[in-house]
Amino acid sequence: MYEKEKKLAKSYIDGKVSRRSMLRGMASMGVTASTAGVLVNAAATQALAQNGFDWKKYSGTTVKLLLNQHPYADAMIANLDNFKELTGMDVEYDIFPEDVYFDKVTAALSSGSSEYDAFMTGAYMTWTYGPAGWIDDLNEYIGDDSKTNPDYNWEDMLEGVRKSCAWNGQPGGALGSDDAKQWCIPWGYEQNNLTYNSRMFNEAGLTVPTNIDELASTAAEAKAKLNGVYGIGVRGSRSWATIHPGFLSAYANFGQKDLNVSDDGMLSAAMNTDVSRNMHEKWVKMIQDSGAPDWSTHTWYQAGTDLGAGKSAMIFDADILGYFMNGGDNAEAGNLSFAPFAANPEAKAPTPNIWIWSLAMANASKQKDATWYFLQWASGPEHALFGATEMDFVNPVRKSVWADAGFRSRLDKNYPGYVEMHDISAPGAQIYFTAQPLFFDLTTEWAATLQKMVANEVPVDEGLDQLAQSVDRQLKEAGLG
Amino acid sequence: MATSTTGDPSRRKFTINKKYLPYLLSLPALLTCIGILIPFFTAVAYSLQRYRLSQPWAQKYNWGENYINFMTDPSFWNTLKVSMTYAFVTVGVELLLGLGIALLLQKRTRFNNFVSIMLLMPLMTAPALASLMWKLMTNPGFGVLSYFAETIGIEDMRWASDPSTAMLTVVIVDVWVYTPFIMILLLAGLRSLPRQPFEAAELDAVPRLFVFWRITLPMLTPFLLTATLFRVIESIQQFDIIYAMTQGGPGDTLTVFQVEAYLNFFQSTNVGRSAALLMILWAITYFLSNIFIKNWLRLREKARGGA
Amino acid sequence: MQKNSNLENVLRGVAITAIILFFMFPILWIFLMSFQTNETILRVPPSPFFEPTLTNYRSLISGKLEGSTATLEIAFMSNLYNSLFLSVTSVTVGLILGVPAAYAFARLKFRGSEDIAFTLLSFRFAPPLLVLLPLTIYFQQIGLADTYGGLIWVYQLIVLPLILWIVRGYFEDIPADIEYAYRIAGHSFWATFRKIALPLAGPGIAAAGLLAFIFAWNNFIFALVLASADKQPVTVGALAFITASGINYGQIAAGIMLSIAPTFALALYAQRYLVEGLSLGAVKG
Repeated sequence: MYEKEKKLAKSYIDGKVSRRSMLRGMASMGVTASTAGVLVNAAATQALAQNGFDWKKYSGTTVKLLLNQHPYADAMIANLDNFKELTGMDVEYDIFPEDVYFDKVTAALSSGSSEYDAFMTGAYMTWTYGPAGWIDDLNEYIGDDSKTNPDYNWEDMLEGVRKSCAWNGQPGGALGSDDAKQWCIPWGYEQNNLTYNSRMFNEAGLTVPTNIDELASTAAEAKAKLNGVYGIGVRGSRSWATIHPGFLSAYANFGQKDLNVSDDGMLSAAMNTDVSRNMHEKWVKMIQDSGAPDWSTHTWYQAGTDLGAGKSAMIFDADILGYFMNGGDNAEAGNLSFAPFAANPEAKAPTPNIWIWSLAMANASKQKDATWYFLQWASGPEHALFGATEMDFVNPVRKSVWADAGFRSRLDKNYPGYVEMHDISAPGAQIYFTAQPLFFDLTTEWAATLQKMVANEVPVDEGLDQLAQSVDRQLKEAGLG
Repeated sequence: MATSTTGDPSRRKFTINKKYLPYLLSLPALLTCIGILIPFFTAVAYSLQRYRLSQPWAQKYNWGENYINFMTDPSFWNTLKVSMTYAFVTVGVELLLGLGIALLLQKRTRFNNFVSIMLLMPLMTAPALASLMWKLMTNPGFGVLSYFAETIGIEDMRWASDPSTAMLTVVIVDVWVYTPFIMILLLAGLRSLPRQPFEAAELDAVPRLFVFWRITLPMLTPFLLTATLFRVIESIQQFDIIYAMTQGGPGDTLTVFQVEAYLNFFQSTNVGRSAALLMILWAITYFLSNIFIKNWLRLREKARGGA
Repeated sequence: MQKNSNLENVLRGVAITAIILFFMFPILWIFLMSFQTNETILRVPPSPFFEPTLTNYRSLISGKLEGSTATLEIAFMSNLYNSLFLSVTSVTVGLILGVPAAYAFARLKFRGSEDIAFTLLSFRFAPPLLVLLPLTIYFQQIGLADTYGGLIWVYQLIVLPLILWIVRGYFEDIPADIEYAYRIAGHSFWATFRKIALPLAGPGIAAAGLLAFIFAWNNFIFALVLASADKQPVTVGALAFITASGINYGQIAAGIMLSIAPTFALALYAQRYLVEGLSLGAVKG
């Protein structure tokens, strides 16, 4: 099946025919664009097979994955046949809804189950999984030529992203330090910047804000001028997820840290400084004045839904959330634009804190070498390019994909400002939290404190002092402070 | 009076059989459940340990320390207060409402029967999903309930996202989901009451309110207790609705036991603290149930003796 | 009841209407949503008028969800099947185990009976979260992890106490005289249990079974933690419509409607027992 088509795809890969004539040729054979993509990639995969690496070494082995229901997983599954053909291996997977995904991961890993060989995770989670001994340091594989194919090109991964997934396991240890362990491989990632509704911005004559004061005033103006629209969408639920997107990106832009690390490696709260107080005050006021009325229940979904349905004028959240809302059956699809955002007027560039969907290997896996075959393929340059151009595998973590003209023009066409935003903010994009095992306790409490401030239950300075006190107490209790 | 079975001559010839029979009958059920006791005791052991999954090297028995820490932990006392308030309010409202509906539907008509089944629908909607829908319906923009609130003049109703109305909102959802449970139990109870006392009262033209307080309610008490028992146990352990609606927020408005324990376990992976919290929750339910069941047994005997 | 005044009838009518409104309006709204896409669901202000579409049901039943870039596989129907299978078998097992025990507690007062009964009920007290981690570990060791058998066993924690307690109550309500008469006539204990006690308690058993079914149906934490994706019930399955690119409210609504349907059908079918038959007044005189 598809022999003729594969031949055509091969000649496209070899540069014999143009992409357009390849697609036209495919269409004449009754193949849709996305199937064509898979076939093209089949040809790319064949090229991969010829790089001298023994891809068939684990032929006949089956690896099992635990996946979050996500476009990244969809992109991988769409391309999976090529992996199977390349290696002769089989891949099984369990997909769980995002709402319960990490509960499932924790349950599976903590019980010592060897059912899953590899799984999707976020970098923050590895701060628990790594010290718990549930996942392996992947440096052992990346650096081993006998295990990793010559075209893998690890250095191609964006440095800030790659390093954010590496940690030496010491509470407070710098991410990406020399002794760091690569707990997971970045797969796709999210920067936190502005997505704004350009239709509304034009209508109300608004300009794109470039710092936190302008953000607040633009949001207020949008709310005043546009009927039934609130100014700015940011997450607000009682969860760590409220702290890590826009909020921490702005916070880091003022040079602020969550925790101090002393010389002897002890941690203490760092959020009750004057600069932090000032930033908190602005943030809280902005939400009170022009945030969502139900801000304190806003998660990723509500922030996105409101933007897509035209209830909010902009969001300071994941770029990829804006990307999703600019398509599908959203009322405002096609009206959204993107801009980099540096909250601090004195900052030279944005400092987006990032979320990284990554792949990790389960320590309990009984076939790690075979599993690494899958991981290096799934995080390799071929699949990254396929996913980014044919599916929603965005943002790619590989520089080579961001340099790809086809990918850039595809983004430029439908997502105004996206490529430029990424180029500007990518150098400063990394995780700005201090890596330590109490990450979730402390950020959840931080979110609860923000909620109290926004509800006027506690003044900002008092709230911050209480938070710092509680953080210090918990750190001490855990033997970290 | 206690045992209507003893003293019956016909039973004597089965004495050998009889001695073991009840154990034989209840043993399978007991054995099935007892398997669960093993994990339960493991969990008790966890609650007596310093046990964070992220610091496996530091796992050791610290005996009562997790519990002692609660004494000085304001968030624990807040959890206790919120959980008790939530259970008290939801069960209270549900009992009154459930009893009211059961009384309204008491008469055996086709219409009443159908309505009683129809009213079970909220109970059939999984609370986790029902809450998602309630969250949408109370959304200030798209929410139909917010729209209604606005049309009747309640401006800027923020439902679950405002600390002052968050409890009210989750209580409404809980009442919506679980009142049918109480209603159906009480309806069954009402319809099973013997007719004689009521017919007699009617003949004597006893006022209906008096009949309700002095005949209906006492006879219905065992049913009320069963319904209350099950609801209290569940309500004090409520998780689905609260977590889906507010995640315990805003602030610490709704950090009930299960929400705290869930966050401690799944997010912070602080197994020791999570287990200790849940042990306290278990102790509370055990204590409350004991009271209910003692009363239930007493009242049942009385009701039967009086009937 | 002939003495009812007009005013009282009016008040009754008003009360019933208010109750039906409160309890049924959300269901009605979910029903309406199930025929809409997000485009009309997320309108301001919300409106009950829209052009109905069957897309949600079609994609749930066919298992294909057309996305902007790809077709998603959804396993909703197999989730529905899992729910049905787990709930039916759990309740069946619960009834087989629970009804004889309930009879023993109600009829044969024996040493320690109240203690055993209370112990059984107390399994309902333990928060599931408490036993989950140890349970997963032990299930792993004895090979029950990710099996229907293991799940059905754990589901007994939900159904058994409920069945036991409710059925016991109904057994106690049946006067023992009939059973004794039957026994004196020379029938065995088992025959009495089967031919007399069981049929008399039938409505109670049906009611307890139905309630247990509903609670088993609504559970999701056990299956989520203990089983792989192919054994998940609807409660977990429906969360799949909360996707990174937005919440598909229409599909969740359709999912809720589809998952209520079997239980509602069962309740309607068992209505005679549940509402009519629960009354034991006739026996009591």
